[in-house]
Amino acid sequence: MVFSKLIDDLILETTSLSLPWFSAELCLSGTIVLMLLLRLLSVDRWVPAYLIGVLGAFAALFCSWQQFAELSQAPPASTEPLVTFTGLLVQDQFSVYFRAFLALFLLLTIALTALTGIPDHEDGPDFYSLLFGATIGMMIMASANNLLMLFIGVEMASVPSYAMVGFLKGRKASSEAALKYVVYGAGAAGVMIYGISLLAGVLGTGDMSLLSERLSLAAAGGSGGLADPEVRTAALAVMLIMVGLAFKLSLVPFHFWCPDAFEGASAEVAGFLSVASKAGAFALLVRLCLALSGGVGTEGLMLAFGIALGVVACVTATFGNLAAYNQSNLKRLLAYSTIAHAGYMLMAVSAMLVMQNSGRAADFAPEIDMSIEGLLYYLAVYLFMNLGAFAVVALARNYTFSEELDSFKGLIGQAPVLCIAMMICVFSLVGLPPFGGFFAKFMIFAAALKAGQAHWFMYVVVAFGGLNTVLSLFYYIRILKTMFLDPRPEGARKVSLPLFSLEGSYVLALSLFVLMLGILPSITTGLSNTARTAAQSIVQK
Amino acid sequence: MVGETLRNLLMVAWLLPLAGFAIEIFGGFWGKRTSKTAAWIAVACIGTGFLCSASALVLWGNSNGWTVLESDGHGHADAAHTEAAHPEPGHSEAADSADTAHSKQTVYSGTLYSLGKFGSLNVSLDYYIDSLTLTMFTMVTLIATCIHLFAIGYMSEELTEEYVDHHAHLSNGHHVHRPGRFYRFFAFLSLFCFSMLGLVLAGNIFQVFIFWELVGICSFLLIGFYTERKSASNAANKAFIMNRVGDFGFLIGLMVIWTYFGTFQFGPTSNADGVITDPGLFGMIHRDAAGTLLTDPVTGDVAITTVDGTPAVDGAGQSRTIPYSLLVVAGLGVFAGCIGKSAQFPLQTWLPDAMEGPTPVSALVHSATMVAAGVYLVGRFYPMFVQEVLLTIAYVGCITLFVAATIAIVATDIKKVLAYSTISQLGYMMLGLGVFGWGAGLFHLITHAFFKSLMFLCSGSVIYGCHHEQEMTKMGGLWKKMPITAFTMLVGVIAIAGLAIPGVIAFSGFHSKDAVVASALAFSDANPGHFLLFIMPLITAGITAFYMFRLWFFTFLGKPRDMHVYDHCHESPWIMTVPLLVLSVFAAFCAVGGEDGPLYQLITGDEPTHVAAGIASTQSVSGLTLPGHSAIHDVHSKAGALALFAAVSGTVIAYVLYGTTLVNLAEVKRHLSGLHSFLWNKWHFDELYDALFMKPAHIVGKFCAWVDKSLFDEILHGAARTCVIVAKWDRLFDEKLVDGFVNLLSRATWSVGDSLKVVQTGKLRQYVMFIVVGVVTLFAVLFATFPR
Repeated sequence: MVFSKLIDDLILETTSLSLPWFSAELCLSGTIVLMLLLRLLSVDRWVPAYLIGVLGAFAALFCSWQQFAELSQAPPASTEPLVTFTGLLVQDQFSVYFRAFLALFLLLTIALTALTGIPDHEDGPDFYSLLFGATIGMMIMASANNLLMLFIGVEMASVPSYAMVGFLKGRKASSEAALKYVVYGAGAAGVMIYGISLLAGVLGTGDMSLLSERLSLAAAGGSGGLADPEVRTAALAVMLIMVGLAFKLSLVPFHFWCPDAFEGASAEVAGFLSVASKAGAFALLVRLCLALSGGVGTEGLMLAFGIALGVVACVTATFGNLAAYNQSNLKRLLAYSTIAHAGYMLMAVSAMLVMQNSGRAADFAPEIDMSIEGLLYYLAVYLFMNLGAFAVVALARNYTFSEELDSFKGLIGQAPVLCIAMMICVFSLVGLPPFGGFFAKFMIFAAALKAGQAHWFMYVVVAFGGLNTVLSLFYYIRILKTMFLDPRPEGARKVSLPLFSLEGSYVLALSLFVLMLGILPSITTGLSNTARTAAQSIVQK
Repeated sequence: MVGETLRNLLMVAWLLPLAGFAIEIFGGFWGKRTSKTAAWIAVACIGTGFLCSASALVLWGNSNGWTVLESDGHGHADAAHTEAAHPEPGHSEAADSADTAHSKQTVYSGTLYSLGKFGSLNVSLDYYIDSLTLTMFTMVTLIATCIHLFAIGYMSEELTEEYVDHHAHLSNGHHVHRPGRFYRFFAFLSLFCFSMLGLVLAGNIFQVFIFWELVGICSFLLIGFYTERKSASNAANKAFIMNRVGDFGFLIGLMVIWTYFGTFQFGPTSNADGVITDPGLFGMIHRDAAGTLLTDPVTGDVAITTVDGTPAVDGAGQSRTIPYSLLVVAGLGVFAGCIGKSAQFPLQTWLPDAMEGPTPVSALVHSATMVAAGVYLVGRFYPMFVQEVLLTIAYVGCITLFVAATIAIVATDIKKVLAYSTISQLGYMMLGLGVFGWGAGLFHLITHAFFKSLMFLCSGSVIYGCHHEQEMTKMGGLWKKMPITAFTMLVGVIAIAGLAIPGVIAFSGFHSKDAVVASALAFSDANPGHFLLFIMPLITAGITAFYMFRLWFFTFLGKPRDMHVYDHCHESPWIMTVPLLVLSVFAAFCAVGGEDGPLYQLITGDEPTHVAAGIASTQSVSGLTLPGHSAIHDVHSKAGALALFAAVSGTVIAYVLYGTTLVNLAEVKRHLSGLHSFLWNKWHFDELYDALFMKPAHIVGKFCAWVDKSLFDEILHGAARTCVIVAKWDRLFDEKLVDGFVNLLSRATWSVGDSLKVVQTGKLRQYVMFIVVGVVTLFAVLFATFPR
């Protein structure tokens, strides 16, 4: 092969195939450049940065929407997945779903920051550059097809996050939180890159689509268990990679950064991190798990791996819920709530792995789809309900200058719209019908229950899930009790947020979505069908 | 077309007062208390109603060429009744070709609005328009208009923010102070007019019942208008409760009717094609030319017929019949309602008490219209009444007219005299209807309405002029002070007394009372056993003249008995005297021509078919002979002479006793003290009912209360105590055991949560340590648990 031919092919592949599929990310990158450029030209005095940001995010959303439609309409030409950039990224409905999801979330976050005024006018381009950069990283995480891209994605999402946590420059707590986040993140990244190098070394490739094949090759001839040194090394490597992802997902015992970082960061940033980075990390986790499983002779190992994830899920959910009990800072409380929800969502991945490697994967095909579908549905609902909760915190903070739970006492008398929105979000977070959270939880628990037929331990996981739902009631309801029943203390700062205000309609719109995702069958089935399509696109390979 | 126009005109007349009521009650509540707007709205509504009714009457007459007014004399029984089976179908105007032999159509019926269909029962608002309906409409709206105008003057004291009611006292002895209720009075009047006109227009017996109750509630509201007065609220309750007794019978009648006939409609109902689907109640009872009811040959029960008069069959092929006894029950039931509404014996005692209401109310509701509704219904429902029922009606009327007239002799309250007179005259009407004088009874209804409302308004004028003095013993010589009132009152008195110079001039009461007495005479001639039905009204005619002239002499002639009252007395303003003059003209001349005159002919234009010929005893089930027109005509002059003699006698005696000083009244009273106190106490009816019903009711009530208190309550209290004891144990169990466990659990979880905080030290160095520890731990676990 002639080198110039190689270059030509590469250019052709890049320009005609890869770049169109990369259009959403390109939109975001372009927006960053545009924002920084406009500030250089002092145009930002007339055009606020969030306006450009909204346009960019909208363009990205539009692009990914188009891509999803294209993928759904195109006949399955081949069973080979569509890969771009010489196999570094994979394009399927799953990754496009996440891309659209992240773009939408970005849009909503920009809207929130525009409403709350963080960042101020001067810092706008900086902040949004970080926000967009992190989002691009997460999009790459969702479509990574190579261990290298996995690491790059995680780091690309993490590094701007560190800066965003410390964005409240004047506040000591903010800087401290950023420092902790950075150091902790660096440690986790170190562990992960070690794991990646081990895995690539043992299996001789970084291409994730080849992993299961290589793993079964390595296991062949041996016991297929840890007694085999190659398998042992691979298992160790996978575990180390998992540590890196666990850091992003704030799974116990790698969650320590989370409450501190959330408390120090502004509520808007906390809301962004809690949803977006979790979504990216889950996409990556699902990809990795599916890439590793399915090989011949490694079922036992992967089954144990799935159960291990189940254990982590139980521990995480329980820990998050219990630790949230006597938190006095609402953001910190929500941070623990985030940890707990990561636990619930991890149950879906665990159930998927267990069913996938039970040896009867064909029997469980609908339930495997359902577990992924449940995860995607959960993330979609979680987007609205968690962002809604953080938005309420952020909007109230603008009046009270406090995020302590006490400052929310008796808020119903002054800002009913915030309280109503918070109520809907909290009930959905608990998982009460008819709100969206209920159906999301229902799907995950149903999949886990079905997985119980593959391995008894999944029943324990479901039981833990149920128990945790009850446990979570205590602290969630405490928020509502504080807002609705406690009297407003004398001398508390007044929160004057009328019902018909931009802020009020924003939170109401979010909570309305939470409600609609629960009660409107058309939306519910629409989303769940989309999620199922996305789930099938990844599982059937 | 005519039917539709008539219906629309009458509907306007009927519904306008309802609109007026709505405007007045709300507008008045939010408006100024001193505004007369409500009154003028009410007058406008009812006045427009009168115009509509009058034009409807004219239109109706024009449409049939005024054939009904062409007097057939008496005895030509066949030409007067023009309608056999009412040919007018529900909604269409198609002339019934089979009926062309008769003169033009005069009866219109159909459905206004269907309320709902329950099984086979079709509840709807219907209309039934014939000459009686139109006459009643015109009479009611005309009198109501006059009374509305009069009331503007009479109720003017209510036009204030603070009205002092001198007849109502608080517990501390002070008078009641309250805002004026001028608007409310007129709102109630409007509601009453709506209800009354609805009753007259009603095309089915159930609809009659609805409006029957509506006028009842209006009567209740108006009697209790001065609700702060104990006597007024008691009277309102009494009127309402006694009417319910009668309505109970009414309901039973309705049940019988619906069970056997399956319909409430008077007239026929037709579908869209003009085919008659339901002959209506009047078409379901068929009488042959001799007045005999068509019976089923097998069972002997009364046959229910179809439109064309042939026996109807039900779904199973059985011919539909109703036992004769149940037909009697149905008739008596409906009549029971009429007894209550028209204050007939034995339910007459509420009407005198109802005089607690303002005088215009007494004039409109309790003399001219509402109480006449009972008579009207008897007339309307006439085809359904069999001989036994008619006899009952006659006797009830007979007893009533005598009893009430005797009480009126001794009453001294000017309104009470008129109230008893009203009862007595209603008795006359019932008697007339009962002895087969259908036209006579209703004739008297119309004439009575005019002269009695006139006299009530006159008494109202007197009361207003004398500053709410109602006792005749404090009046006298008012002739000079209030000439118009005295004159118009005299017109009314002459009319009701039945005085006349035969052949020269006769006021309305003479003609109508003549007709009733003549019917009664013909009846007692045909049935000698029932001679009392003639003797009593004859005597009472004398008594009537006596007490009415007594009233007039007492009030307007002689020397003033109370100078204080006399000195402050004054004639009423024009707004009150003009209605008096208008009504006096009608009271005098409305019945001009007597039974050959236009009013009588108009009323009897749509007379039930079997009335004219009478029913001979041989064909009658009960052996009664019911006189036809010719029989009545034969005795008319004789009856008229006797009645006039009685009236003149009564007048003379009244003049001797009250117009002159020849007789010492106190002496007479002393001599007849036993009779006087008997009459003064109204034949002890109130005491009798008190002993018969109230006392037993109280005893039963007390017994029930005792059972309730000492038996059921004890059981309940015991149960409650047991519950409390159980609950105490339950609480102990709950608090100590269940709560203790829950609290323990929550404390445990809380402390676990608390201890988890300890791990989160916030020290960065430690966090990084935890990564290492975590990785190592996981590694250890991995090697310990994963398959080898």
